[in-house]
Amino acid sequence: MSSTATVLAAATDTGTGEAVTFWVLGPLAVLAALGMLASKKAVHSALLLALTMLSLAVLYLAQDAPFLGVVQVVVYTGAVMMLFLFVLMLVGVDSADSLVETLRGQRVAAVLGAVGFGALLVFALGDAVVTNEGLDQANSEGNVEGLANLIFARYVFAFEVTSALLITAAIGAMVLAHRERHLPKITQRDLSVQRFRGGQYPAPLPSPGVYARHNAVDTPALLPDGTPADASVSRVLAARGDVRSIPEQASTTAIERAAPRREDDGS
Amino acid sequence: MNTGLTLAAEFETPSVEYRLLAPMLIVFGVAVAGVLLEAFMPRPFRHETQLGLAVAGLLAAFASVVMLAGDYSVAASGSVAVDGPALFLQGAILLMAIPGVLATAERKVDVGGVFAPAGSSTPGSPAERLLVAEKITQTEVFPLLMFAIGGMLLFPASNDLLTMFVALEVLSLPLYLLCGLARRRRLLSQEASLKYFLLGAYSSAFFLYGVALLYGYAGTVRLSGIAEAVSSEAGNETLLLTGTALLTVGLLFKVGAAPFHSWTPDVYQGAPTPITGFMAACTKVAAFGALLRVLYVGVGGLAWEWEPVIWGIAILTMGVGSVLALTQTDIKRMLAYSSIAHAGFILTGLVGTDAVGADGELLGVSSVLFYLVTYGFSTIGAFAVVTLVRDAAGEATHLSQWAGLARRSPVIAVVFTFFLAAFAGIPLTSGFTAKFAVFSAAWAGDARVLVIIGVIMSAVAAFFYFRVIVLMFFSAPAPDGPSVVVPSPLTTVAIAIGAAVTLLLGVFPTYVLELAGLASQFVR
Repeated sequence: MSSTATVLAAATDTGTGEAVTFWVLGPLAVLAALGMLASKKAVHSALLLALTMLSLAVLYLAQDAPFLGVVQVVVYTGAVMMLFLFVLMLVGVDSADSLVETLRGQRVAAVLGAVGFGALLVFALGDAVVTNEGLDQANSEGNVEGLANLIFARYVFAFEVTSALLITAAIGAMVLAHRERHLPKITQRDLSVQRFRGGQYPAPLPSPGVYARHNAVDTPALLPDGTPADASVSRVLAARGDVRSIPEQASTTAIERAAPRREDDGS
Repeated sequence: MNTGLTLAAEFETPSVEYRLLAPMLIVFGVAVAGVLLEAFMPRPFRHETQLGLAVAGLLAAFASVVMLAGDYSVAASGSVAVDGPALFLQGAILLMAIPGVLATAERKVDVGGVFAPAGSSTPGSPAERLLVAEKITQTEVFPLLMFAIGGMLLFPASNDLLTMFVALEVLSLPLYLLCGLARRRRLLSQEASLKYFLLGAYSSAFFLYGVALLYGYAGTVRLSGIAEAVSSEAGNETLLLTGTALLTVGLLFKVGAAPFHSWTPDVYQGAPTPITGFMAACTKVAAFGALLRVLYVGVGGLAWEWEPVIWGIAILTMGVGSVLALTQTDIKRMLAYSSIAHAGFILTGLVGTDAVGADGELLGVSSVLFYLVTYGFSTIGAFAVVTLVRDAAGEATHLSQWAGLARRSPVIAVVFTFFLAAFAGIPLTSGFTAKFAVFSAAWAGDARVLVIIGVIMSAVAAFFYFRVIVLMFFSAPAPDGPSVVVPSPLTTVAIAIGAAVTLLLGVFPTYVLELAGLASQFVR
């Protein structure tokens, strides 16, 4: 590759395989990124972000940057994104985003600003002529070796200082989330004593509904009189609004069918 | 195996000059030792040990800065510049951090300290009340402070943009955390922390995008390499200008300059007050140091292009800070807007790029260095005073509660008046000398209109400082008003250091001015 190659010239240098990869994955990455912003559920957003990252990783690999591609998959898609998903799963997303504007006109101003800034970058950088060192030169000792030489020799101090960042992050997580025990531990015995003393429902909560058509944690069980048992569905699901209502899912005929049988049993 | 051997032979062992990096290494070492202490030291001894270790570390680091004076070169394979501005600012940060840490460690004014007993407890919950009753304090704040200081030491000294970015994150991350740990008004504090974190992350993205574009322009992230590319006019100018603009946005955010200032009042108000003082002083010093290095060393050849922009931002910053401070009713918010206005005054000095003093010192640099020192000490002192005026709910920060404060505690009122006078730039305070220095640098740099606007704005700013002074001395105190708490020696010493430096630099500024002049040359 020549040392002074314009973006255009670089584009014509692209091999067919790389071009196909780009035109398949590029739009996919952009669409997934837009979908991430637009989707209402946090889990969908996270999955779409993972898709964007994976597409980027393949693009990096196609452009002779194997280390970056692998890191993108292992660290970002693999570790960071899955951590996001775990957090979403454990914490549960039980509050919808408030879409009330606290500052009037803020959203319009933000969109205008973003479009303006985007246009500025696209038009300014779109016809920028890039003088590049040449990938062959950068990768002359091999991609990973070249990077290693930069990280552990030229930028070793920055690399070492990054450890301060990691320690800070670890302490930060502890400070914000870790609870030290200052009270004696509540044992299972204490809990059961509490439960009976408190006069609450002492038995385990009922399990969710199981029907011939349906078998899911989001469907409440039915009480003998055919009304749904609210306690049988997790509170998180209820707060999220993901509980299926009975008439909709367990068809009324099923309840009707169940009802006469009960009468039969009684007779 | 074979290739591994040949590669090992090719690998150049990097040169790490431990002596030149000593100030940073000491501070980071103390921070790591602090983390270990948290793990092994029994709780009753932690607070005193951590405090002693932190102060000792800061003093040792300052001693190593002093020993490096005059010994200018680049260290760590060119990542770190050890030169006049870097050492001067490192010394300033370390000296300011001492009263900052002392005020943070105060435990008498609010029993248990300024930080929540546990960051993880829900504000107002029974669990938290239990921790308060047991007088549990969070001592992790000391290692966090030391990490922040380490990042601040590296930030103005970084000689390439990659190191600068890492330093930016190292200094910011602990501050985001510390902002959210206030003992009183926790929700406000957590909101401040979240705002600071989100906006800080956003500005880091700008910074990083700028770094990427400058790399695209020059093919290197070294400031000297970028400077070479600028002077040889190689490469694409669009990349250079866009990159410089984005990079500057990231830095101006940390400085708190006008279009990027909106985080400042909320964060300064919500953060624990000693942390606010520490942040206002030390972060500003570090960020201005980095801004100076980028603008003077990296894109110094581009001064014709960036000077008008800095002009505009300086005017906007002074205007926004001074005018909006007039409308504030909360003392912490007012000091936050005052800090924005001061960022504007400091930017004024930055414009005097071609102003050269009698001994060949760069007036643009030396005046900014001097201003940062004076502003930093006064700010730490002023915020430490704010912690002392309290009622049952904690700090009484509403301005109306400060009415007639002089009758309750003449000493505190006089000390606070002195700090406000320094902020306003009254003669015999350090603020006057500092304003004089930046304005004369800008005047010598032919930015005369800017100087005139700056003087008008400092008159506007003086108005709201005097409003507080009048309120304290000439209003009747409210019957159920706040009282002034007598602090432990920690806060007293912090306030005394702030006041003493403010007075000394107002009466005998020559020595530090000369030092700033000597320290005004960058290593390239």
